[in-house]
Amino acid sequence: MQTYTCISKAMAWVFFMTLPASVLFPVLCFGRGEEVTSFINRYKQYEVSTGYYETYEMRPRHESPLVSRFRGRDRDPFGYTSTSASVRNRHLLSDSHRGIKFYDNSRCEMCHANETRDIHTVRANLTCRQCHGAEPIASIDHYYSPLNPIRRHAYVCSKCHEGASASFASYVIHEPAAGSADSKTQFPALFYAYWFMLILLAGTLAFFIPHSIMMGVRELFGKSKDR
Amino acid sequence: MRIKRFSALDRVFHLFLILTFLIQTATGFSRLFFPTEWGKTLNAVFGGYESSILIHKWVGILMIWGFIFHTLYLITRIDWKNLGNSIFGPDSLVPNIHDVKHFRQRLRWFFGMGPRPRLGRWAYWEKFDYWAVYWGLPLLAVTGVMMMYPVFTSRYIPGWTLNVAALLHRAEAILAVSYIFIVHFYVGHLRPSSFPMNEAMFAGSVSVEELAEEKPAWLEQLQNEGKIKTAKAKTPPLLYRVIYFIFGYAALGLGVYLLINSIVYSRYITLH
Repeated sequence: MQTYTCISKAMAWVFFMTLPASVLFPVLCFGRGEEVTSFINRYKQYEVSTGYYETYEMRPRHESPLVSRFRGRDRDPFGYTSTSASVRNRHLLSDSHRGIKFYDNSRCEMCHANETRDIHTVRANLTCRQCHGAEPIASIDHYYSPLNPIRRHAYVCSKCHEGASASFASYVIHEPAAGSADSKTQFPALFYAYWFMLILLAGTLAFFIPHSIMMGVRELFGKSKDR
Repeated sequence: MRIKRFSALDRVFHLFLILTFLIQTATGFSRLFFPTEWGKTLNAVFGGYESSILIHKWVGILMIWGFIFHTLYLITRIDWKNLGNSIFGPDSLVPNIHDVKHFRQRLRWFFGMGPRPRLGRWAYWEKFDYWAVYWGLPLLAVTGVMMMYPVFTSRYIPGWTLNVAALLHRAEAILAVSYIFIVHFYVGHLRPSSFPMNEAMFAGSVSVEELAEEKPAWLEQLQNEGKIKTAKAKTPPLLYRVIYFIFGYAALGLGVYLLINSIVYSRYITLH
C-alpha cells in the first residue's frame, strides 16, 4: 500500500510536470501548408534525393544575367532560376490533349470526374492547374513533365509541402475508390485495409446491436421472475 | 448499502475520455462532412475549417498523453509477485475462459433456455468496451501523427502509406463512434436495468441489490475475501447526482445528434 501511494504520487507529479511540456510538441505542425519553399531549396532537395547533381535536365543559361550571381557565390554556372530547368520550359512538353474537339471550351472535370474527388481538390480547394500546370499538359510519364515521378516531389509537392521527398511524392493523390476492383490491382494495401475495416465495423455492429437489443428485451420481459 | 466499483482515478480517466472523444468526434466530423451543409455548420462552431483541425490535433495530443498515463497506471496495478492471478484473475480486465462460458450462458438466457450467467467483476461486453478503446486509440494516434507530420513520416516509410493511414484513421473513427453512440450509450442509458442512467461510472459505487442481480459472482468474491467492509461506499450527494445526470444526458444528446446527422449526410460525401 505504501509503495502504491508513493508510485501514484510520483505519477501525479510526472503528469503535472510534463503536461506543460507536452504543449510544445504539436507546435511543429502549425503553419504547414502556408509557406512555399524557395525554388533553390526545392531544387536542392531534388538533387539530394535523386543523386543527380546539376547534370541532369539542366542546360547552361548563357543568356541569363543571373548566372554571375551564382558565380559570385562559388556556385556552378547552371542557374537555379525557375526558367533554367528544362522542365519549366514548357515548349519541350508534348500536348496529351491534342486533337480533342472543343478543348478550349471544356473543363478538366468534364472528362476527369473521378480525379476531382480527392482530398487536395475537395478539401484543400486546389485546382488542376496548380499541379498539372499550364498548356500543354503532358502525361505525367513524359520525360519533361514536372509531375514525372523523378522530379514530382521537388517541382510540384514541395510548392506547398516544404521538404517533400521522393518518398513523400509516392502519396497517391488521385487514389482509386478504396473498395473497388481498380484499387485491388492499383493499390492493394488500400483495398485490403478498406475491406478489413469494413468487415470489422459490420461484424462488431452485427454482433453487438442484436446482443444489446436481446439484453434489453430479456430484462424487460424477465422483470418479475428469473432475474 | 453501496459497494465501491470505480476509483476516483478510473472515473477521471472516463470523464477525460468522454470530453476528448466528443470533441474529436465533432471536429473530425466537421472535416469529414465539410462538403455538406451540416459539415459547414459544424465547422462554424469551431471557428472554421482550419481551426477545427487545430483543435482536433491538440486534443489528439492530449488523448495520446492520456493513453500513456493510463498505461503507466495499468503497470502500477499489476501484482508482479502474483502475476498469473493478477492478469487472468477475476479482478482483471483480460478476457479469459469464463467469458466464453458466460457468453454461451447469456445466449441461452436470451431465449429462456437457461439461468442468467453469474457474472464477475467485469462482464465480457465491458471487457470488450475497454479493449476496443485500448487498441483503437493507438491506431488513431499513430495514423493521426503520421498525417500531422507527413513530410517527416515519409522520410522513414513510403509516402503511399499516408493514403492507408488516412483510410484507417477515418474507418477506425467511424467504428469507434458508431460503437460508442449506439452500443455503449444503449447499455449505459437505455436498457431496462440501466434506465435512465447507469450511475456507476460517475457515482463510483453501486447498490448491493443491483450488484446481487448483475454481478453476483463479484459480490460473492468480495464476501469470501472479506473485502466487503472496505469496499463500502457512501451514497453520492444529491447535487453531485444532479450534475452528472445533466452532464451524462448532454453527452448522450450530443452523441446522438452527431450520429444521426452523420448517417443522414453520409450520402453527400464525394470523397473517394
